[in-house]
Amino acid sequence: MNHRSLAFRLAVWYALLLSATFALVGAGMYFGLAQYLRSSLSDSLRRRSVQVEDILRSAPAAIRDAQIGDAITTRVAPEFNNRFVRITRAPATLIYRSGRPADRSFDPSSIAPLAGPWPSRTTARRVATGSGPVMISATPISTRSGEYLVELGTSLEPVDSVQDHLLALLGMLLPVLVALAAGGGYLLVKRALRPVEDMSQTAAQISVQNLDERLPVMQTGDALQQLSLSLNHMLGRLRESVQASRRFLADASHELRTPLTVIKGELQEVVRESECPPELRERIGSTLEEVARLERLVSGLLVLSRLDAGDAQREWLDVDLGELAASTVEQMRLVAEDRGVQLDASRLRPLIVRGDRGRLKQVIVNLLDNAIKFTPRGGSVSLRTEQRPGLAVLEVRDTGSGIPPEALPHVFERFFRADAARTRDGDTADGGAGLGLSIVRSICTAHGAEVEVESAPGAGSCFRVKFPRAGSREAVGAPGPQASVAALPAARLAPGRTSRGAP
Amino acid sequence: MRLLIVEDDHKLAEFVARGLRAERFAVDLAPDGLEGVKYLESYEYDLVVLDLMLPHLSGGELLRRLRRSHPSLPVLVLTARDATEDKVTHFEAGADDYLTKPFDFAELLVRIKALLRRTPAPRTDVLRIGDLEVNRLSQQVRRAGQRIELTTKEYGVLEYLLSSPGRVFSRTMILEHVWDQSFEGVTNIVDVYVRYLRRKLDDPFPTKLIHTVRGVGYCIREPEARRQVEPQ
Repeated sequence: MNHRSLAFRLAVWYALLLSATFALVGAGMYFGLAQYLRSSLSDSLRRRSVQVEDILRSAPAAIRDAQIGDAITTRVAPEFNNRFVRITRAPATLIYRSGRPADRSFDPSSIAPLAGPWPSRTTARRVATGSGPVMISATPISTRSGEYLVELGTSLEPVDSVQDHLLALLGMLLPVLVALAAGGGYLLVKRALRPVEDMSQTAAQISVQNLDERLPVMQTGDALQQLSLSLNHMLGRLRESVQASRRFLADASHELRTPLTVIKGELQEVVRESECPPELRERIGSTLEEVARLERLVSGLLVLSRLDAGDAQREWLDVDLGELAASTVEQMRLVAEDRGVQLDASRLRPLIVRGDRGRLKQVIVNLLDNAIKFTPRGGSVSLRTEQRPGLAVLEVRDTGSGIPPEALPHVFERFFRADAARTRDGDTADGGAGLGLSIVRSICTAHGAEVEVESAPGAGSCFRVKFPRAGSREAVGAPGPQASVAALPAARLAPGRTSRGAP
Repeated sequence: MRLLIVEDDHKLAEFVARGLRAERFAVDLAPDGLEGVKYLESYEYDLVVLDLMLPHLSGGELLRRLRRSHPSLPVLVLTARDATEDKVTHFEAGADDYLTKPFDFAELLVRIKALLRRTPAPRTDVLRIGDLEVNRLSQQVRRAGQRIELTTKEYGVLEYLLSSPGRVFSRTMILEHVWDQSFEGVTNIVDVYVRYLRRKLDDPFPTKLIHTVRGVGYCIREPEARRQVEPQ
């Protein structure tokens, strides 16, 4: 159970509120009942005391104290009724005290006389005895024969026991009720929130690649339905604007191609004319190089716009990445040697992924080209394929200058260049437009693969592409264990002399 | 030889026409699809260069009509789109060849000549220029009688340059013929291979055969034969 989930928090609050409510109700019941029982007990005592009062008042002054006792035994029968009766004449003459009650609930002799001055009217008090608490109601009576204090009592045992039972019952019921209510509340809230969960799951799966998908619309007729409809409308607008920008990219790169053809053609014609002075030839040649760069840029943009449109899936086959990488390395070996960079392909193993061979080759070419470009003379670039559970991993590692940490999150962005100093000696021949790595990322995305980069300035970079394995439906997982950035043992293959394997 | 160019971009059409006229072709220009239909109904052509994106009547539609009336007329399609499915679609619709903008005029010329010839150029087994001799069967290269070892790609570049001595081949053309599109726009691979080729082929000898035309590309020729072979 997620302790921060809305359902959990609601249930906890619900339980707290319920506990407080139950506790208040329980306390009210408990004290109210106690109050009621005591007052009815003292009422009945008062009624008895009136009987005793009558006996005292009606008895002639000459009557003996013993006769009063007889009259009370006859008319009130305290022992039989489990009552306590004691009559004291002022100042402190005990006239009568009832005997042990029939139920033996208290011992009359252990009930101490009222301490201090007599009250002016009836008062009740609680007296603890060895065999249980007793309630004593004391009433002062004034007659012709003198001042009397009439005390009537009865055991509090039954009242206390009712109270104890009630307390036990409440103590037992309250946790059970609260637990039931909280659990029920949790389930109810969870059920009410399930559509929201469904929505958020679907929403999490929607990316620029599948903007056609929509969230499930909840037919609840409430704010949640409204929310799902609004989100779907938003997705629709998002899709339109993404499409518009893709169309623009595609149209713009198309429109640039015709004028580029004319510029290139006209300039080439001038260069070829034999009477063209060498100085002019040189300047036009330099312009033509820029035209060629524009051409590469436009064709890169077209590739990207086509990948954005999602047409990479046309010619998907099982491709052996290891073999493809090895043959690409052979084709690039001379380029690397030309820059004094060693290519190490000794750790390439057969690795089948599903995809478009041409596009996958483009990924390898672009990654290799990038690595070679940023590795100084004497360095090395190594390729590695690796099988991980559910994943096929291709790694291109260089011993180059590395990428500064602040540039690392941006290397796959279009037109991004880490810094001008990274390109060496005005290398206009490859003068990258800054599209190579974003093409890599687009191709990877189209293949359901993930590309990541690890780099430390001075320690080289490592680009890692993680493909879902052919036949495996598992999603691409979190980045794997971080490999060390130390140079790998470079087993040098035979030089480009043996190059073959043009596709 | 009379050619029809159906292309709505006036400058592109003019530039292509000028180049083709210099090659002694008779060239007509139609600025849109409907004009193209009129020209085709009025004259006999040996080949049509057709842009796909045309006003009034699209290139695709024109191609379909043309195929009904002129089943065997060679058509070279020009387009800014180069996705594979487009190529397939237009070959199915009856295009004989396909060229993506931006193209090199040299490339266009090669394709037009190939379409007009229809049959492949007579293939000689031994190519010679100056004291360089390339045997296409054994892939053996000799210069001044000395055997020169080349890698597969180096040989590919050399053979391609030798297919038309004196003509300047652009990097893109070389790349597309010897490698594949994966390398396009990324590396200086062609320059590197040409440099290696020169190191083996030219550096040990006094006369240089491989020449750079800045901004355009490379060509192979004998220095003294320069004026006669250009433009080829």
